[in-house]
Amino acid sequence: MREEETRYFRRIEARLDEAFDLAEAAKATGYDPKTEVEIPVAKDMADRVENILGIDGVAERVRELEGEMSREEAALELVTDFVDGNVGDYDSREGKVEGAVRTAVALLTEGVVAAPIEGIDRVEILENDDGTEFVNVYYAGPIRSAGGTAQALSVLVADYARSLLDIDEYKARTDEVERYVEEVNLYDKETGLQYSPKDKESRFIAENMPIMLDGEATGDEEVSGYRDLERVDTNSARGGMCLVMAEGIALKAPKIQRYTRQLDEVDWPWLQDLIDGTIGKDDGKAAKADDAGDDADEADDAEADPDADADDAESDAPDGPNRVEPATKFLRDLIAGRPVFGHPSAPGGFRLRYGRARNHGFATAGVHPATMHIVDDFIATGTQIKTERPGKAGGVVPVDSIEGPTVRLANGDVRRIDDPEEAEELQNGVEKILDLGEYLVNFGEFVENNHPLAPASYVFEWWIQDFEATEANVQALRDDPAVDLEEPSVEDALSWATEFDAPLHPVYTYLWHDISVERFDALADAVAAGEVVAAEADGGTTAALEHDNEPERGLEGTLVLDNTPEIREALEHLLVAHRQTDETLRVPVWRPLARSLGLTDDRERTWELDDLSERAREWDDGDNAVEAVNEVAPFTVRERAPTRIGNRMGRPEKSERRDLSPAVHTLFPIGEAGGSQRDVGDAARHRGESGKRGQISVRLGRRKCPDCGAFGFKSKCPDCGGHTEPHYECDDCGTVLEPDESGRVYCERCDWDVESAEWQDIDLNTEYRDALERVGERESSFQILKGVKGLTSANKTPEPIEKGVLRAKHDVSSFKDGTVRYDMTDLPVTAVRPEELDVTADHFRELGYETDIDGEPLRFDDQLVELKVQDIVLSNGAARHMMQTADFVDDLLEQFYGLDRFYEIEERDDLIGELVFGMAPHTSAAVVGRVVGFTTAAVGYAHPYFHAAKRRNCDGDEDCVMLLMDGLLNFSKEYLPDKRGGQMDAPLVMSSRIDPSEIDDEAHNMDIVRQYPREFYEATLRMEDPDDWEDEVTIAEEYLGTDREYTGFDHTHDTTDIAAGPDLSAYKTLGSMMDKMDAQLFLARKLRAVDETDVAERVIEYHFLPDLIGNLRAFSRQETRCLDCGEKYRRMPLSGDCRECGGRVNLTVHQGSVNKYMDTAIQVAEEFDCRDYTKQRLEVLEKSLESVFENDKNKQSGIADFM
Amino acid sequence: MPLETPARIVRALVGRGYNAEREAVTLIAGSDDPGRTLARVVEAAPDDALRITADHVREVLASAPAADPPGTAPTGPTAADAAAASDAVASHTAASDPSASGATSHDNAAHTSQSTPAEAKVGSGGRNVDPALRSLEIANDMTGQSTGTGEYDDFVKVFRDRYEKLSKMLRGRVNHRPAKAISNMSGGEDAELIGLVDDVRSTKSGHWIIDLEDTTGTFPCLVMKDKDIAGYVDELLMDECIAVQGTLSGDAGILFVDSMHFPDVPRSHRPNTADRDVQAALISDVHVGSQEFMAGAWNRFADWLHTEEAERIEYLLIAGDMVEGVGVYPNQDEELDVIDIYEQYEAFSEHLKSVPGDLDIVMIPGNHDAVRLAEPQPGFDDELRDIMSAHDARITSNPSMVTLEGVNVLMYHGVSLDEVIAELPADKASYDEPHKAMYQLLKKRHVAPQFGGHTRLAPEELDYLVMEDVPDIFHTGHVHKLGWGKYHNVLAVNSGCWQAQTDFQKSVNIDPDAGYAPIVDLDTLNMTVRKFS
Repeated sequence: MREEETRYFRRIEARLDEAFDLAEAAKATGYDPKTEVEIPVAKDMADRVENILGIDGVAERVRELEGEMSREEAALELVTDFVDGNVGDYDSREGKVEGAVRTAVALLTEGVVAAPIEGIDRVEILENDDGTEFVNVYYAGPIRSAGGTAQALSVLVADYARSLLDIDEYKARTDEVERYVEEVNLYDKETGLQYSPKDKESRFIAENMPIMLDGEATGDEEVSGYRDLERVDTNSARGGMCLVMAEGIALKAPKIQRYTRQLDEVDWPWLQDLIDGTIGKDDGKAAKADDAGDDADEADDAEADPDADADDAESDAPDGPNRVEPATKFLRDLIAGRPVFGHPSAPGGFRLRYGRARNHGFATAGVHPATMHIVDDFIATGTQIKTERPGKAGGVVPVDSIEGPTVRLANGDVRRIDDPEEAEELQNGVEKILDLGEYLVNFGEFVENNHPLAPASYVFEWWIQDFEATEANVQALRDDPAVDLEEPSVEDALSWATEFDAPLHPVYTYLWHDISVERFDALADAVAAGEVVAAEADGGTTAALEHDNEPERGLEGTLVLDNTPEIREALEHLLVAHRQTDETLRVPVWRPLARSLGLTDDRERTWELDDLSERAREWDDGDNAVEAVNEVAPFTVRERAPTRIGNRMGRPEKSERRDLSPAVHTLFPIGEAGGSQRDVGDAARHRGESGKRGQISVRLGRRKCPDCGAFGFKSKCPDCGGHTEPHYECDDCGTVLEPDESGRVYCERCDWDVESAEWQDIDLNTEYRDALERVGERESSFQILKGVKGLTSANKTPEPIEKGVLRAKHDVSSFKDGTVRYDMTDLPVTAVRPEELDVTADHFRELGYETDIDGEPLRFDDQLVELKVQDIVLSNGAARHMMQTADFVDDLLEQFYGLDRFYEIEERDDLIGELVFGMAPHTSAAVVGRVVGFTTAAVGYAHPYFHAAKRRNCDGDEDCVMLLMDGLLNFSKEYLPDKRGGQMDAPLVMSSRIDPSEIDDEAHNMDIVRQYPREFYEATLRMEDPDDWEDEVTIAEEYLGTDREYTGFDHTHDTTDIAAGPDLSAYKTLGSMMDKMDAQLFLARKLRAVDETDVAERVIEYHFLPDLIGNLRAFSRQETRCLDCGEKYRRMPLSGDCRECGGRVNLTVHQGSVNKYMDTAIQVAEEFDCRDYTKQRLEVLEKSLESVFENDKNKQSGIADFM
Repeated sequence: MPLETPARIVRALVGRGYNAEREAVTLIAGSDDPGRTLARVVEAAPDDALRITADHVREVLASAPAADPPGTAPTGPTAADAAAASDAVASHTAASDPSASGATSHDNAAHTSQSTPAEAKVGSGGRNVDPALRSLEIANDMTGQSTGTGEYDDFVKVFRDRYEKLSKMLRGRVNHRPAKAISNMSGGEDAELIGLVDDVRSTKSGHWIIDLEDTTGTFPCLVMKDKDIAGYVDELLMDECIAVQGTLSGDAGILFVDSMHFPDVPRSHRPNTADRDVQAALISDVHVGSQEFMAGAWNRFADWLHTEEAERIEYLLIAGDMVEGVGVYPNQDEELDVIDIYEQYEAFSEHLKSVPGDLDIVMIPGNHDAVRLAEPQPGFDDELRDIMSAHDARITSNPSMVTLEGVNVLMYHGVSLDEVIAELPADKASYDEPHKAMYQLLKKRHVAPQFGGHTRLAPEELDYLVMEDVPDIFHTGHVHKLGWGKYHNVLAVNSGCWQAQTDFQKSVNIDPDAGYAPIVDLDTLNMTVRKFS
């Protein structure tokens, strides 16, 4: 590590220590469940693993092994330690296997996710039918967060431990095997799997698996075939097991095989058959396609295979260019209000451009901010899109150094819009969006998704390398102020193309591949027959086109063509800027067009269709004119945009405070006394059955003061001020017990678990008044103070009400673990300008930034600076919320703990340099981050390594930040729910510094260069394997473990503002679902790349119909609820009234919620001419609704009734 | 040898070494003297012919004096016939070969001996029936009577009606005291209660607590695990009506149950029978429009109905799922042969036309039909009725009680069977023995007791799903499995289906019984099954 980084981490750790000391002092006052801070700091991964698992000695051993071997190997090595009893304190064989399996999963997930504690319930040793013993591993849903490799390896580890312990293999019964097959299918249908194994694969795995995979029921749907099996507890799908089997074993077979080969004790020869797909009786055509293993899009790709094969077979006569096959998967489950931007590979959709912008990479998509506006503001920074390739989804980032959209305006102008402001102005005048502009994808994305390189658009950064490869003196041109290499004049471009052997400059390269040879021929005729009028005399030129008529460009005058549908469409598809009137098409910049059409400068036609070679005429069945262009034009013309990428909107971006529903200010139970709002004030005034104000009965943990022996529920003894401990007393025999190592409290004599919680009658009124007084607040200092109905933690330890009072005062609310959180969509950024973060260069220098990316001293606000690894940018909303939290924390320190204030925030800038915790759902480790600035985008920008340390990528995922001091003071494990998943999403441990080797390795696949080599672009045309280019295009992985691991993240594309484009997606600003859907369909009609009928069809199919069907089903089997007391009834009481309170009972699903979409759906189906099948489904449903909700005897009578 | 049935013609041809096209067989059967025609056809057939075609027959017939086919003879071949023609020989053989139908075999000889040759006016179609002797009444039809508007009160009403009707059946056996009154009794007293099952749960020690509800409230009833009646608990479904007798606990908080009663069918039930030798065919789940619809089997069935052997069959009951429907499950369109729902019904109607026109037909809708899914399901609407006008079939709601010459047949499509099979132990109800699940419904005297689960309920004024009167025959379908048996003398029949195994069924391990027609003698309630697949 370099000096600079050492300083950086020390700085963070110094502030952390400062906070820690103060928090320890606060905790020492004894008001909290524990007297010390409950989030331990982990120095490295080994620490985290040990802390999460709670198994002593693991960290030390892990560190020993880490230097010698890979993490996977270390996991296997540890099995021996567990079996021999060197690590962990397990007596039973079950315990040893369990410890080894948990440790393996923890290791492979870098000790961050909750899978090792929540995803593995237990390990059992059971008996085979032949009397031998076998191992059963019992998985739970949260194993999902471990990912396929760790899941699969957990099985291998269990098997290894099994063999070392000399336990026999599991011998599955036939019905159990079939059960696996059925269950995996059921789970896939119900929840969905990344990879759906074929029946024979499931069967094969089940038959060969040497240990039994079992688990908790996770769904409601039950299997119908293989039910009530003796060794399977449930008839529902066991989600954890299904995941391990499908996404673990089936999908990662090649990876596991690598490790089984290293172990003598473990032999899984059947893996080879699984990998080869040579299993089962039938031809195995389906399974074989999956040997690559990782690609979930396989099915789609497989469909495409025949074509590709056909090409290969006739390689001697290639009849078209290399193209990736359209994939439709991203269109599945389309929902109302989230528009499709492009159908699969459809012309007019996004054009693939390679490169990485500074706010880009790691599952993001770079889109021009003008495009964001042009699609009716549906895309904002951070909006998730589901994409055709290379991955499945990505978060959108604004990049304005790529091309914007091309549109046809109502006034007849066809032009590209590269200015977001202009896009905003013209938004309403857009008649057709002919092209969405470019779509920036970085090379690493292809590596990560193991997707063959798709043919690249011809762009400046490629052309300039082509140009440099010629004899031209490019450096001289660069230095020449009269020459603009990126936007050259027509004259320059044509002369470079003809004089040197470089292809025509991309600015003048039109999309020839999008028109047919026939049309190309017609266009050549039309242009030859057109008329050139002097620019000055061209009355039709509008202000909007003036730019293109600047002297050096429009010197030749404007070309005027007859407006025929064929020619108009040809120009539109070529993306030639022009103006349309009723009779004419006016093309101001026409010379490159004419030359590409094989015309002379005098527009004389020098070729006939018959002159073209057969190859050019038949290229891509005559649908692609690019070969024809190359035969007739005096220069080489490359394909401008060979790869189009379809996509649609996924989730909208997010930047919102996380409130429980209803919001909770204090984790103090008040039962039903506070009404549905859980208002503590109301509850305190409430007269219960006793008639005394505020007397309530709630379940609370019983605690005992070790000093004076008094009992109570508070953590600090009200009598003597001592710190109390939970008191466990067996209800039956009265024995006082202590928790064992695993935290379990068990009464041997009575054979049951003992809890400290009991029903206690408390005087809430007094508690509440005392709390207000203690912190010196009045009830008027907040609107409402909300408690909870009951506590869900094991010991039912309540929070001091005082904390709630102060939270309510500052309008922040608590999560289930006592922390205050704010959620944001994750986005990466590797270099920033202080200016765009609404801070100054001074601020940055104070934070320790010294130079910009070029090594120049940091002096100005607009200098580009490489972001440090734990620095984060808060959205404006998050900053506001953090300020409120800081005020709350300061008040808490001062008024509750009686200590000094810590933050003293007066203005937003005071937040700069403060530390926060970043934490993702399904994980149990927080990462310390430092605030360096603010953004208007509704996202959290941070270094990709910061996100990866939380095990997030940036494909539209969101997670939260907490203020450091709030976490230290208010988090307690005591508050966590005592149920499956309760430990998830809680900061059980924190990482104070990020070690790039110990984060999700997805982030290592980000490329960090300034330029991709020319050969790379050429390789994309051959659709080569991205792995072969890792050496030429450096990815971050290269520098792991070196001095450069924290720095040197270069990018190929800059962008002016990382928050450009709309602040919020239209999806969030439009009101009702109907408005959103109308806007979605309106946009579908405007977009050339979108088939609006298909969109309408899908909205009905995937949104309206399931909603209608689901609600109708729900209606006819619904629960009911008492309107007065909230009691729920599975079925309507025969008495009609509430059995609890005599109140009015009503339905939970009403007619209104069932048929809310009916009319709209029918209308959309009509308007967009959907299939009869769809229309009839709606018809049948409409009749069903009528039949259920209309009285046959009370229908509107027609005139016939009176005749 | 009389050669009036297609099967015999086929056999006769096979005996002479020929295969035959279906149409050829039809033509021979329809001729004045099939025996002579057949002989002439064989004689005239070219030496190298292995297969008698329709053309061969036409040639022969044209050379002879023309004969008008009688009205009841099968009409011209449909497209599906033509498609199935190639396997005509094999299938006809199977249909008439007892060994091929395995367990469901029937005895041709017995049938022949039971028939009444004296009355038989042998027509070429083989059927000789007198519709005047028939009677057919339908009760419990709620088509056009749906008054529910989906309000809370409608639900309350329907459950109250259920309680009223079912508790009445139990009143003779126990002396009911309202739940509220029991809660005011003192400990140790004896109490009897009739209620809908509101909840069943087990205690820590393995006993069972059943909450029973009447119109005054609920009361918990404890069934000790070691009592004989504990076995009943497994069979309980939510919202069925039972009666219990027992003693209140010391604190009067719970009732210790000594005996438990179900509305049930009385053991003494003596079923009604018809006064004459007449039969009904009970089928269901035709699924026309599905790629798996077995047109061949259906045509063989229809052909067979035209034969003398089938002439005593005067009633045809179809218990739902006429067509495969649209949108029943996701991406169903990919597995449809006929995608248009109206065309599906048209195709069904065409298939219905091929059964003898003199049959009395009754149809109820099922869950694949274009009718609301919530039960009771009203009969098809006018548009669909117009399409299915063939043979003046009677259309009624699901469920309905159809009385055929005095014999009460309860027709119900059977969606609740899935739930009964899922909830009850395998020995009480399974897909392999669907009739056992039907016994449970008979015992509970309700076709779909459990609310809130799989079965959907549409609230109406009355609970049309209660079996107020004991049926003599209980006919369901839906699960695509064939099963029948008698429960307290009630014949329970779950007819199979006319749809071959679907991919979905394959994936969940259901092997359907497709192409069977259960035939019931209405004078004896004896049943035989014919196989056509």
